[in-house]
Amino acid sequence: MTASLDKGISVLKEMIDAPIASYFSSCVHCGLCAEACLFYTETGDPKYTPIHKLKPLRRVYQQEYTLLGRFAKMLGLSKPVTDSELEEWKPLVYDSCTLCGRCSMVCPVGNDIVYMVRRLREGMAISGHAPDGLIGASRRAVEIGSPMGVKLAAVQAQMKHVRQDTGIEIPLDAAGAEYMLIMSSMEIINFPEYLGAIARIMKQAGKSWTLCSEAFEATNSGIQIGVSDIARVLVQRIVDGAEKLKVKTVISPECGHAYTALRWEGPNLIGRPYTFDVLHILEVLDGFHKEGLFKTSGFEDERLTFHDPCQLVRRGGVFDEPRNLLKLVAKDFVEMSDAGKMNWCCGGGGGVSAIEEAEQLRLQAFKIKKSQLEQTGAKTLVTACANCRIVIEEGLEHYKMHIPVVGLTETLADHLVEGEKP
Amino acid sequence: MTIDNDGDFKKALSGLSPAQQRMAAARFAENVLELTRDARIKRTIESAKLDTISDEELGTAFQFAKAASVDSYTQCGHECDWNKQAGHFVAEAALASIKPADGNNPAWDAAMHARMARTCARIAAGNGTHNREDAAQYRILAEFLNS
Amino acid sequence: MDQELFLTWVRSTGLDIAVGIFVLGTLWRLIEIYTLGHKPDLAVPRHRTGASGLHTMFRRSVPPPGMFKRSAISYVGGYIFHIGLAIIVFLSAQHIKLIQGLTGLSWPNLPSQFIDATAVVTLATMLMVLVDRINNPVKRFLSTFADYGAWALTFLPVLTGYLATKHLLLPYTMMLALHILSVELLLVFLPFTKLMHVFTLWVSRWYNGDTNSRKGVPV
Repeated sequence: MTASLDKGISVLKEMIDAPIASYFSSCVHCGLCAEACLFYTETGDPKYTPIHKLKPLRRVYQQEYTLLGRFAKMLGLSKPVTDSELEEWKPLVYDSCTLCGRCSMVCPVGNDIVYMVRRLREGMAISGHAPDGLIGASRRAVEIGSPMGVKLAAVQAQMKHVRQDTGIEIPLDAAGAEYMLIMSSMEIINFPEYLGAIARIMKQAGKSWTLCSEAFEATNSGIQIGVSDIARVLVQRIVDGAEKLKVKTVISPECGHAYTALRWEGPNLIGRPYTFDVLHILEVLDGFHKEGLFKTSGFEDERLTFHDPCQLVRRGGVFDEPRNLLKLVAKDFVEMSDAGKMNWCCGGGGGVSAIEEAEQLRLQAFKIKKSQLEQTGAKTLVTACANCRIVIEEGLEHYKMHIPVVGLTETLADHLVEGEKP
Repeated sequence: MTIDNDGDFKKALSGLSPAQQRMAAARFAENVLELTRDARIKRTIESAKLDTISDEELGTAFQFAKAASVDSYTQCGHECDWNKQAGHFVAEAALASIKPADGNNPAWDAAMHARMARTCARIAAGNGTHNREDAAQYRILAEFLNS
Repeated sequence: MDQELFLTWVRSTGLDIAVGIFVLGTLWRLIEIYTLGHKPDLAVPRHRTGASGLHTMFRRSVPPPGMFKRSAISYVGGYIFHIGLAIIVFLSAQHIKLIQGLTGLSWPNLPSQFIDATAVVTLATMLMVLVDRINNPVKRFLSTFADYGAWALTFLPVLTGYLATKHLLLPYTMMLALHILSVELLLVFLPFTKLMHVFTLWVSRWYNGDTNSRKGVPV
């Protein structure tokens, strides 16, 4: 047993808690989890069955935490978890799992399978069995401050760009501001219009806000690769920034897992509750609108539909806000089949889009999203996650479907009534 | 009229006819074309620069630019190749040039994307982010209006 | 073998051993599982009506949206044989008598023809789910000896019970003894196989529901 495998098994042992033990003890091999997983439904390959992805973890559980399992291990009757097995499992645990959580919604015995995959990744990563793409992203996140290599200069360039585009100066390190916005590298690099949209809405709403030079990054590669130590460092940066600036609320951007990481996992990673609130940008905007702080005018003419980012809706609990906001500007809004907490994943979350070798599988899995979209007859797809946006665009391009994909915040800003106070 | 600030620049662009918006936008994109080797973008810009263009030609041009744009996005978690990202914004500028001008200002959008392309190229070269693409665009517009 | 002796054994020593292993084994497994504990969640919860561990304990018995059509046989087969087992175990006159002998409690039984029909339907359904387990690519892929074993451990009591009641196949005494033995085997293996889900599924559903309810997601 190598030192890193040893560490990996040790970490897996720590990861196993009463819920996981209960889940493994309850599984009846009904296979219903596979019917909820797009990697199985679109490929027909049973190896993508979610509970199967957990096999190494199950064996560690049996061999370490059950009387009979320990007994069998003592007698040399059990099969140890090996490096080659973990390596074989790498594509199952990473390439074919976006942590979308649909499996956890359907298991008849109540197993929270996505929770188990998340924990298994901790052992996979420590034992050296995480994909290169995620290792690189995590390293950059820790060393540079962004998994995609975005430094403050790039953020400042974007701020300048937004100033040129909108005439609005973006606040940086404004202590005492009510809101601190964090952004995903995806938005900083690919969607400068997102920051512009927020700037315009915040101005109209009359709210004080700021970016933070030491904590502008929302993406948490630690969550994706499954290394809580990295995840903790990244969350702590945001917490330190927010507390230094004494903001009331940190706004998580249109990025799926950034919200999960900060809002739900964060306090558990740093071991204490926050001294500030965390809200998704859509929760903030919905709140503003309800308070009458901004108005919209006009409607999008064409039929629109909404893709529910998994980490925001099913895993995050933000169901109503996207719909409330979209209905302000959409005359013809249709829901996809399975909309809301049962919506199908875009196929690129949980780190999958960072894994080169997963591309073909991801495009295959995309067929379900394509089929949902086709059924709606929508001419535009709106979503609220920069990664979903690009993954879906790539999927649509691959299947030669020419439907624009737009962000919800920008769409709202396009209809913003500016100048007059409501 | 000399344009030397964004306020006047944006106003001048919004006063253009849809066809003029398209052609001006194409020129802004063309000014940053050197930042990409993607031949599809070049073809889109060439189409967008034409005085008259059929809907079918517009459709083809759109598809070229869209494909080029999607191919050049930096994917989540990947290390950003700022040169490639520059190319992405050139594609976006080209795309903006052939979008219909219903009530919005596609030429301004194209100009913004072109500036972003230049900024990305500067980052790639390790030369900071400062550039004067805006001044270049004022000149391009003036030349276009005078031609 | 002397049928009477066999029957006496399964009713006394055999039963003591089986029930003893069942009770101690189940207790041990529950302790083994739930004393692992889990860390409290420090994130500020979001409340939503209808989202809680308790809700999920029961709601998860209903197929989630879109799932029934994906695997109707899993749901239909699963419901029928579980309900069938419950009816046979708790509502047949013979079993109520047994429970009364052990605990003093009793309640009205269902007519024997109804129980017979339920047994036949349960057996047929269990055969159907076995065929599905073999045919369905996912179930086949996942299934191990333990799955087929668990199936047999559940099937045999129903079969032998039915055969005994109808005085079929073997003389009654032998059939009854085999029935009791099959139940004892079920009891002995239950805590150490997936059959443990009888107890753990409630808590698993609760954990899942509770975790998600804190995010305001009813699951």
